[in-house]
Amino acid sequence: MTELSVDSRELEGIVLLYPRGFINAHTVRLFEGEIQKALDQGRYRIVVSGADLKYIASAGLGAIMGVVEEIRTNGGDIRLAELNETVRNIFDILGFNHLYRIFPSEVEAILSFREGGETGSPPA
Amino acid sequence: MSSRRPALVLRVPSRTEFLATIRDVTRRMAEVAGFDGAQADQLALAADEASTNVIEHAYRGAPGRTIELRFRDEGSDLCVEVVDDGAAVDPRAVPQVDLQRYASERRTGGLGMHLMGRIMDSVTFRRAARRNVCCMVKRKPAAGSGVAAP
Repeated sequence: MTELSVDSRELEGIVLLYPRGFINAHTVRLFEGEIQKALDQGRYRIVVSGADLKYIASAGLGAIMGVVEEIRTNGGDIRLAELNETVRNIFDILGFNHLYRIFPSEVEAILSFREGGETGSPPA
Repeated sequence: MSSRRPALVLRVPSRTEFLATIRDVTRRMAEVAGFDGAQADQLALAADEASTNVIEHAYRGAPGRTIELRFRDEGSDLCVEVVDDGAAVDPRAVPQVDLQRYASERRTGGLGMHLMGRIMDSVTFRRAARRNVCCMVKRKPAAGSGVAAP
């Protein structure tokens, strides 16, 4: 059984990533690779849409942490949407909710990039 | 010692492929012990993180070693011990997590240990008989908190 798949699409210059399954030390390379593909194409506006993300361990959080500075330095941001309760709890436990903008829906995350403030200053 | 509370020992190879097994078994043991689904997910995450630490640090990625997980229902607590016979690991050497610095310095290590500490009520390490033993304890929800007894 595949533990993780990551679909992606682009909309209005925003890369949308759809991780499905579990991100941990075993699967994180796939997730990192999809983020890196976007960066290699000069795409610095990324939404991780997590409706089908069942679980994320520190390896996955580290993957986001490892690129956020580069993304924000280039005027973009990595934002999260549609996280289930388990994943949202993990973000809250680690204080990631203070570092990343998390939206209830993918649409809200996409629209947030239209607000003018592309650069991802952490939420207040 | 007449307790009939569940206890289980799980031994898996030191390969990340088996983290899913560790997660599934931990989750099931947590549910049997009386934790709700969200708490069981968090316990499974703590076991995943502890086992990942063993693979990466104690065994330094060597795939042919063994990780042993010992689950004990102790009545008021669930105890999960993660045991390896790899290199001695000093948890005090793990830096404290400072998220802002992590982001700016592109550091990612130490998050797992931090997460384990936030999820569990107690995380202790000891070296015994040339083995590292990480002992994680989580208090069960109080009776009447809405979680059904097993």
